[in-house]
This record gives sequence, C-alpha cells and structure tokens, in this order.
Amino acid sequence: MIKWFIIHQWKQTKRSTIFQKNVVVNIVLGFFITIIFLEFLIGGGYLGAEWHTIFPDDHPVTKFNSILLYYFAIDFIIRFFIQNLPVMSIQPYLHLPIKKSSIINYLLSKSLLSIFNYFPLMVLIPIAIFQVSVAYSNMVAVVWIISVFLLMLSMNFLLVYVKKQLVVNAKIVGFFGLFIVGLLVMDSYGIISMANLSAVVFDELATNPVMIVIPIIFLIVIYRINFSFLKDRMYPEELRVGKAKKVDAISDIKYLKRLGQTGEIIGVELKLFLRHKRTKSILYMTPLFLLYGLFFYPQESYQDIAFLKIFIGWFITGGLMYNYLNFAFTYESNYFDAILTHDIDMHRYFKMKFVVALAVSSFCFVATIPYVFFGLEVLLFHAVMYLYNIGMLSFVLLYMATFNKNRMDLSKGAAFNYQGMGASNWLSMIPAMLFPVLLYVLFDWFGLPYLGLAVISLGGILGLLFSRVLIDYLAKQFLSRKYKMAEGFRLR
Amino acid sequence: MIEVKNITKVYNGITVLNIPKLSIKKGESFGLVGNNGAGKTTLFRCILDLIRSNTGEIISEKLDVSKSSEWKSYTGSYLDEGFVIDFLTPEEYFQFLANINGLSKGDLDDFLNDFKDFFNGEILGKKKYIRDLSSGNQKKVGIAAALIAKPDVLILDEPFNSLDPSTQIRLKKVLKKLHDDANVTMLISSHDLNHVTEVCERIVVLHEGGIAHDIHTEKDTLKILEEYFAV
Repeated sequence: MIKWFIIHQWKQTKRSTIFQKNVVVNIVLGFFITIIFLEFLIGGGYLGAEWHTIFPDDHPVTKFNSILLYYFAIDFIIRFFIQNLPVMSIQPYLHLPIKKSSIINYLLSKSLLSIFNYFPLMVLIPIAIFQVSVAYSNMVAVVWIISVFLLMLSMNFLLVYVKKQLVVNAKIVGFFGLFIVGLLVMDSYGIISMANLSAVVFDELATNPVMIVIPIIFLIVIYRINFSFLKDRMYPEELRVGKAKKVDAISDIKYLKRLGQTGEIIGVELKLFLRHKRTKSILYMTPLFLLYGLFFYPQESYQDIAFLKIFIGWFITGGLMYNYLNFAFTYESNYFDAILTHDIDMHRYFKMKFVVALAVSSFCFVATIPYVFFGLEVLLFHAVMYLYNIGMLSFVLLYMATFNKNRMDLSKGAAFNYQGMGASNWLSMIPAMLFPVLLYVLFDWFGLPYLGLAVISLGGILGLLFSRVLIDYLAKQFLSRKYKMAEGFRLR
Repeated sequence: MIEVKNITKVYNGITVLNIPKLSIKKGESFGLVGNNGAGKTTLFRCILDLIRSNTGEIISEKLDVSKSSEWKSYTGSYLDEGFVIDFLTPEEYFQFLANINGLSKGDLDDFLNDFKDFFNGEILGKKKYIRDLSSGNQKKVGIAAALIAKPDVLILDEPFNSLDPSTQIRLKKVLKKLHDDANVTMLISSHDLNHVTEVCERIVVLHEGGIAHDIHTEKDTLKILEEYFAV
C-alpha cells in the first residue's frame, strides 16, 4: 500500500502546475538551494574542525552540548512558523479498503522528509568527527550523533502534534509557546541556566552511552501520541487545518465608501488580505520589513557599504509594496472572471492597484521615519528609495504583473510558497533591486554619490508627474492581456 | 440584441467553436444544449469577452463586446464559481454589487426580499463566507448576483445543476417571470432537456463547436431532442 502512496505522491508533485510550467522558477530555486547547501556544507565543516579554537578555555564538547537545548528551542520556533505539515489529501483513500494505520504511518513518515531534519547534520556530523571522537572515542561520537539526530526527529513529530493541536485546541499550543518563551526569558535573566542543564544532559551521553535509550524512547512515545491522535481524527473535516471560520466583523470603512466604486474595490481587497492565510502571513511579516533596518543601522561597519544603504532603503519603504504589486492580479485569480464581467470600470480597477501600492509604500516610509535616529542620511536614503518605489518601480511592477497568469491558492502560507509565481516575478527583482543599486554604486564609484541619489529620485518624480499617462498606457496593456490572464487563472 | 458573427476558437489546432452566424433577439429565451465539449461554455465566455476568439466578433446592442464594455451595465452572468468573490459573506457580496451598480439601500432590500423564497433561508444571516456554503447554495448566490442589477441580458451556464428540486422549480419560475414581465434576453445552457425545453422558446444544439439544430420550442421539441441525443 505504501508503495502506491509514494507513487501517487510523486505523481502529484510532478504534475503540480508549478513543476510543469515554471522551468525558470525551478532553475532559480535549484540554484539557490545548491548555494545554501554548499555554504552549510563548507561552513559546517569549518565550524566542526575549528570549534575547539573558538572557546579555548572550555571543554569543546561540553561547550557545544551547552547550546544544544537553545538550538532545539529555536529550531522548534522556526519550524512552527515555516515547516509545512505533511499533507496528503487522504480523502480519496478513506473509503477504500485500506487500513487506517498504514495511511497514518505514511502521513507521519512523510514529515520526516522535511529538510529541517537534515540541514543541521552538516554542522553536527563535523562536530561529532572532529570534536566528540577526539575528546572521547569513536563509539561515543556515534552514540552522540545518533542521539541528537533522534531528538531532532522527535522535534519533528512534536511539531506535527502541536500543529495538529492548533486545529483542535489552540489554547494548549498557546501555553506550550509561552512555556518555551518563558524558559528562554528566565534563562536570559539568569533564573535558570539552560546552558548548564543542556551541558549536563548531553555530557551524560558521553560518560554513559546507554543513555541513548532515552532519545529512542522519546521518539517512539511522541510517534505513538501522534499516531493515536490522528487515528481518532481521521475524518476529513477534523483533519482540515482551515476549518470553516467564523465570520469576522470587518465593517465597511466609511472613508472608503466616499471614494465610490474605487473605494468599494479597495474594501474587497482589504477583506481579501484579512481572510486568507497566505495574505495574512504577509501582513504578519510587516514588522519584519519595517524593523529590517535594526539589523544594519546600529552597526558602524555597514554604514560605508554603498549598495547596502540603497538596498535597505528599498526594502524598508518598498518591500511590502513589491510583494503586493508582484501579485497584483494573481491574488484575485479566484474570481477574476467576476471582475471582468461585472460592471466595474477596468481603468479605475487598474488605477486602484496603483493607489493601494502608493498607500502601502507611503505608510512604510512614514512609519520608518524614526530611523532618523541613526542619522539624517538614513532618512535621505529612505526618501530617495520611497520616490523611486512609488514613481518608477510601481509602474514597472504593474506592467510585469500582467504577465503573471498562474493561479494562486491563498489558503496556504506564504513562507517558501512559490505557487502562483511566474517568471515575471523573478524578473521583477531586476528593476526592483538591481537597477537602483547598480546606478548608485556606479555614481558612488565616480565619487558622486549624491548625484546618484538625485538621478534615482528624479526617475521617481518624473514617474509621478506622468502617472496619468503611464496608468492609461498600463491599463491598455492590462486590457490586452486580460484574456491570457483569465485563461491561466481558470486552470485549477 | 446579440449577434454572433463568424466566431471561431481554436485550441492547439482543434477548433472548439465555429459559429458563422447566430442572432438572438431582444427578449428571446435562448437555450443551449450539447454534450460535454460541444462548446457551450466557450460560446458564453466569448459573449462575455472572457476569451479572445480567433476570428469574428460578437455584437451586443450594436457594439463589439471586446471593444466596448457598455454591455457590462445590462448583462448579468454566472458561469462557474469563479464568478463570485468567495471570501465575502453573501450579504457583503450583494452589498458590494449593489454599490458597484449604484443601487440604493431600498433597491437592495427589495431585491433580497424578492429572492427570499429562492434562497429558502439558507443564504442570508448564516454568518458564513460564500466559500463555506455548499455548492448548491453557492450557485444560488451566483445566480442572484447575476440578477441584482436588473439586467436586460442574462447568461447562465447549467444553472439547474446541483440545485435541489425545489430550487430548480423556483428558478424556472423566476426565469419565466423575467421573460414574461421584464422581457429579459436569456441565454441558458443545460444538460437537462426537460428544464431547458420548459424555460426556453428557442433551442440550439451545439455539436463539436458548430450549430447542429436551431429549433423553435413546440410540443414535440423534447422528443426531437431526446431522439437526437439518444445513443
């Protein structure tokens, strides 16, 4: 039976529209994954070999063991937000003569394929080879790496359990999250020491290899818990992550009403964003966009890197807008036919997209004015990139968005979700990031950085001055592309 | 009212629609039947300017539908789920359409009141998004939405499918009333020969993209159609 599951799963993956149509996306993704993989491989090997020189005063293995608990805690938090649950649409199998247990076993073991379970090995294996086996023995190193790996797999199943609980009983998950955060907070105030605990627990493995049974038992127990949890809830409506949600009370905004038809459409767009998982996760990421500067601005060493200043300015004031415009029409792929057939003024509809982008970018610019704390120059870069974003990039992105005809399923999360992405979305990175960065770097190279900024902002100002003409032109382009877009959006 | 002239649509070298001439008069109730793949939906999509045809043009009220969007103000349509905004509640969706079409609150209330029977208490006040309604109820929303602006032309693709028997009967009443009282031009496709002969005064049979029959509905029409489709 498992064989059939695997065959079906493989076919499903292979035949999903994204793999079939998007050669460009696949190549770019493959390229990035290979690079990240190589970086981890080299970085991990280096770290493993040189670990004992970084903390010469401590026992290297004890030192490494002391950070393991933190690692698991943070790993869990990251997984919680990013790792996808193993979903095999089990509905078509439920009415067939297949044992429930084999469906569950397959479902659970599928989660083991997640890359999160294997990436850390690139650090852990070198540590085991260069540190543990040197400090203790080869046997201890093997026990150590197996134990840590088993714990990682346990984390995987713990996550599956917690995420499933999220559907049934969200409160428990909340308490669990508070518990982890609470531990981290108490640790940072020195009330408890997770480092000591961690070191003691994992050092015990070295002195007492029999302890390997503990992670084994832990893994089996958590697997059984998952198993019985799923077995009791094999009904599709209980397994479904997004249940029929209660209706929210977004009342219609009075101000939008006054804008007439444009306001109506913006109102629907707002609801679209608030009522879908994918768009909501973008909204949750908003603080990340706005606070991005805090990673860079406080550090002196970054302040002389020309391209970074432009990039961060672009990202903070335009990152959200970029996200919105890239999928300006794809977000509405579900009901695009409705937009085309109802009595909606297409020109106004198109203009609305620009207005929203303008509002989003303006909000980002105004909200991040406090960065002026790090110097007036920061604000200058933000202002220049803001002008560029609203006056040039917005139009380019709107143009490119008309070439994206991939349907988008909004009920999935946004992180690492490339569904609905077309070649145009990757190409759009060129005007978005590369162009202003290169322009500025070029001027900077000739010793004329401020002229560079002036040129970039002039582009934006010109775009704004001619916005009416540009929108007219783009709306025409949109109308001539609409058949192709509608056709693509209809493909489920 | 609607003139189809030399419309052809070709997908991957296969002609799925080829109609040299078809004219639908104002106030006519026009039924479209045909097996799967006969081109019914494609024809409707062409009339709604959702597909660019390879040749020909479609004229609605003397204007080419692909060049002017005038037709949108008097044409109501529902072909499939893609025609409703499914993350809104039915109330929100009707309100949205009312505002788009410039209806007053009174107009909207009258409209919802008229459709009370048709909704059968399953649509309004349920505190559910359209996407969480059953497919039959989603269809009710879509059909009602097509009628909200009191259109002169109504285009429905298999409206009887997935509706419960009572609603099918109610829908037939609604359509007959629209035809008799409001002189609405109706284009309705259906797989159910009974329903379509009951509602439509003219029936066109599509076969492999072309018109195979064009009949004025009379007593023996149902029999003729049944014979035509018999295997």
